[in-house]
Amino acid sequence: MDRVGTQIRAPSGIVVKNATQVFLRRLPVTLIAAVVIWLILRPAVDTMVAGLAQTLIRAFEHPRVTRLVVEDHRTQMRRTDLRSDSKVPSVSMTEVTFNTIVLLALYLALPHPFSRRQLERLFMGWCVLYFSQSINLLFHVKALYAMGLGEWSQHHYSDFARNVFGFGRYFTDLPGRFSFPFLIWLGFNWEVVMKMLGIQQQEAEKPSKKKNKQGRG
Amino acid sequence: MNLRELWQKPEARFLILFLTILGVSFTVVALRQVNDVFVTPYTAVIAQMSGFILRIFGETATVTGCVVSSPRFAVTIYNGCNGLITSLIFVSGVLAFPARISAKLIGVIGGLLAIQLINLVRIVSLFYIGIFMPQHFNDAHIFVWQSLVILAGISLWIVWAHKFALPPESS
Repeated sequence: MDRVGTQIRAPSGIVVKNATQVFLRRLPVTLIAAVVIWLILRPAVDTMVAGLAQTLIRAFEHPRVTRLVVEDHRTQMRRTDLRSDSKVPSVSMTEVTFNTIVLLALYLALPHPFSRRQLERLFMGWCVLYFSQSINLLFHVKALYAMGLGEWSQHHYSDFARNVFGFGRYFTDLPGRFSFPFLIWLGFNWEVVMKMLGIQQQEAEKPSKKKNKQGRG
Repeated sequence: MNLRELWQKPEARFLILFLTILGVSFTVVALRQVNDVFVTPYTAVIAQMSGFILRIFGETATVTGCVVSSPRFAVTIYNGCNGLITSLIFVSGVLAFPARISAKLIGVIGGLLAIQLINLVRIVSLFYIGIFMPQHFNDAHIFVWQSLVILAGISLWIVWAHKFALPPESS
């Protein structure tokens, strides 16, 4: 390594390290803030997620009989064609929407979280997460219809439909709930995170070795 | 921009690899055979380790399959509670990141151990929350500890990138 190279790399390295340290130091604090925000907004989020899921379900339903009612942070799956004494299945909305905390904590830990640009990104990211939560609830309902109602399910849904809804529920459940906030955060803050991780700098600082490095990812 | 040019951009390469590894790994662990041969025994090992730690703390804990029980409380460790999903996200991030093979090896082994350590703390703490504050068990289980475990996985990945993956000059 030549001296000029050292001089160029050192300042950029310090910037990268500082940004990461600040992010990691902020994260516990922003986690607490995110929990508080989520607890405050939870009733509205539950209702909005159930509302969009119901709209999407009813859009492909003939006759439109599904009603999703949120009570005590659980969404009850009511069908108007069920007997009144039927048991009403429900889904915990805490499990569906808790990943909002992760998204908020990650956003708030980035530099300048209240700048207009970051707030716009947070809004867009939250919208995508909200949609994913609604899709998750939709798959819960459809998987219950396809697999959980005995002979009725057998009669009204094909094996293919059961596989599709079962697969959709699985993917939007644990893998989706855990990875979507991270992916959304990464996607909407791409250059900020990449700069923090040093990927762009690392490659930019090594133009002569670029070809050798390719394909090692 | 064609695919070759896209692939030559490190951040695009990282994203493509990350999503591919993540998608494939999530699909693989969803398979029934993999679940029976790997996921369930893996979860049972986590249960055994949790029971062992609880016995060190003086609990008369017994483990049956994925159920850890004592006269005071019992928990069942399900797929979402075994740290596997967070581990897969972490490993996907490490494998996709442009780094040396040795750095990736350190990341995978160290990260998996760290995530499991955090997960064991989670299970043991939830056990005691179940004993002393059962009314808060569900909240602590779902939105406190699940969020903590995900953020811990992401933090570990960022720390790994700076300690091991980037060249010394930039870290």
